Amino acid sequence: MATGLSAIFMANRAALLRFVRARGAGEDAEDVLQDMWLKLEAKDLGPISDPLPYLYRMANNLMLDRYRSSSRRERREQDWAEGAGGVMADPSDDVAVDERMILNERLEQARAVLRDLGPRVELVFRRFRIEGVGQRVIAEELGVSLTTVEKDLQKAYRAMLALKQKIDTE
Amino acid sequence: MNEEALGWVIRTRDPAFNDWEAFTLWLEADPGHAAAYDGLMMADSDMDSYIPVDPVVMPVAANDAGVRGPWRWVGGGAVAAALVATVSIAVLNRSDIYSVTTRPGETRTIALDDGTKVELNGGTTMRFDRKDARFAALDAGEAAFTVQHDAANPFRVTVGDDMFEDAGTVFNIVHAGGATRIGVSEGKVIYNPQAEAIALPAGRALADDAQGLRVMDIAPGAVASWRQGRLVYANAAVADISQDIGRSLGVTLTATPGAQAMRFTGTIRLDRDPARFFAQAAPLMGLTAVRQGDGWVLKEGPHKEGPHKEGHGPQS
Repeated sequence: MATGLSAIFMANRAALLRFVRARGAGEDAEDVLQDMWLKLEAKDLGPISDPLPYLYRMANNLMLDRYRSSSRRERREQDWAEGAGGVMADPSDDVAVDERMILNERLEQARAVLRDLGPRVELVFRRFRIEGVGQRVIAEELGVSLTTVEKDLQKAYRAMLALKQKIDTE
Repeated sequence: MNEEALGWVIRTRDPAFNDWEAFTLWLEADPGHAAAYDGLMMADSDMDSYIPVDPVVMPVAANDAGVRGPWRWVGGGAVAAALVATVSIAVLNRSDIYSVTTRPGETRTIALDDGTKVELNGGTTMRFDRKDARFAALDAGEAAFTVQHDAANPFRVTVGDDMFEDAGTVFNIVHAGGATRIGVSEGKVIYNPQAEAIALPAGRALADDAQGLRVMDIAPGAVASWRQGRLVYANAAVADISQDIGRSLGVTLTATPGAQAMRFTGTIRLDRDPARFFAQAAPLMGLTAVRQGDGWVLKEGPHKEGPHKEGHGPQS
């Protein structure tokens, strides 16, 4: 598809390269852009209302995928080195009963953390994080300022990340 | 924790974010920024495994909050626990469609495969599809829906000839006596997406009855309040309220034409003991409840010594 998006990609190639480099791609920055280009060519995308932010988001997601797969690989190699040995369990296997209990416990903890933040903060966090609603829209819905929504989100995120840290060190 | 990186995680997660140049500048300012951002984005996506998806409602208007304390109900579950719901499962024309019926006064919760929860109030008949968790039909009665939203495959509720489609939602529908009422407490519902396509965001309600189709405001906390053993109203007709009471408590309740036309704003606490319930609820609505045979009748005016005094002024 040699239509709009590819043209916008070419016109903004330098800026995207700079972004991907700053985003941590280093020497691989050119390869990442090449990946992006191939994906754009392969996909038959309809018209996109805001093409440049779309391309940036795509680049950002590619970088996240790279980070995710590299940290997963590191973890796997580490497990292997620590003598996990034998046949590795398929991670897609059904969740075991005791794991499910742990998961339920975590849900309860998360529920308590959110509840302690108060109903507005909890509502803002849910609208944003679960339902994917933008901050400006949430501010309008609740009749509060954008700054209030930003602060609520920071507060909720900090509390939820602290809970995650606690869970991870348990 | 890196506050700046967290700020960028939140900003870039916003669907409307477009200041990628500013983000690039921040990343370039320090090579450690990208790593901090990646770490927090990972932590963010890990949250998916333990964020509870159950609904949250904003507190109801201040006057109701004051009432809630002293009026605390023994717990919404009491209604369900006190009675064992008899559920008749009838196989209809298609083998994968099944129906669920609750008797007046019974409640029942249906968990669908996709994680959607449907809570049936008393006197309700619904149909579901074993093969399609996104289908539900409310044939009669009242139900509260807590929907697992999926934009690609929306949850749809058929009510008579009408259809409600969710857009990330908690809502309640009443279908009785040829009228339909829906209240939305979270997310959004689309009424008849193929026809009128009326969007109902949280805090909006729609009524379709003899007076026609109307859209109005509703306190999100008032939606499906029967689940907490309360009925919350703003300027509601006693005709509708008496239906709600009959369904929730399993009593036969009628209202005189004069009483039916009256309107009520406030919170009514449900009570399984009808005599105790009406002794409290009727005066609250400015009405009198009289036992008649197996049922109850709501009449206009405050309760006096005897029925012969009805209709007289407050001085009589």
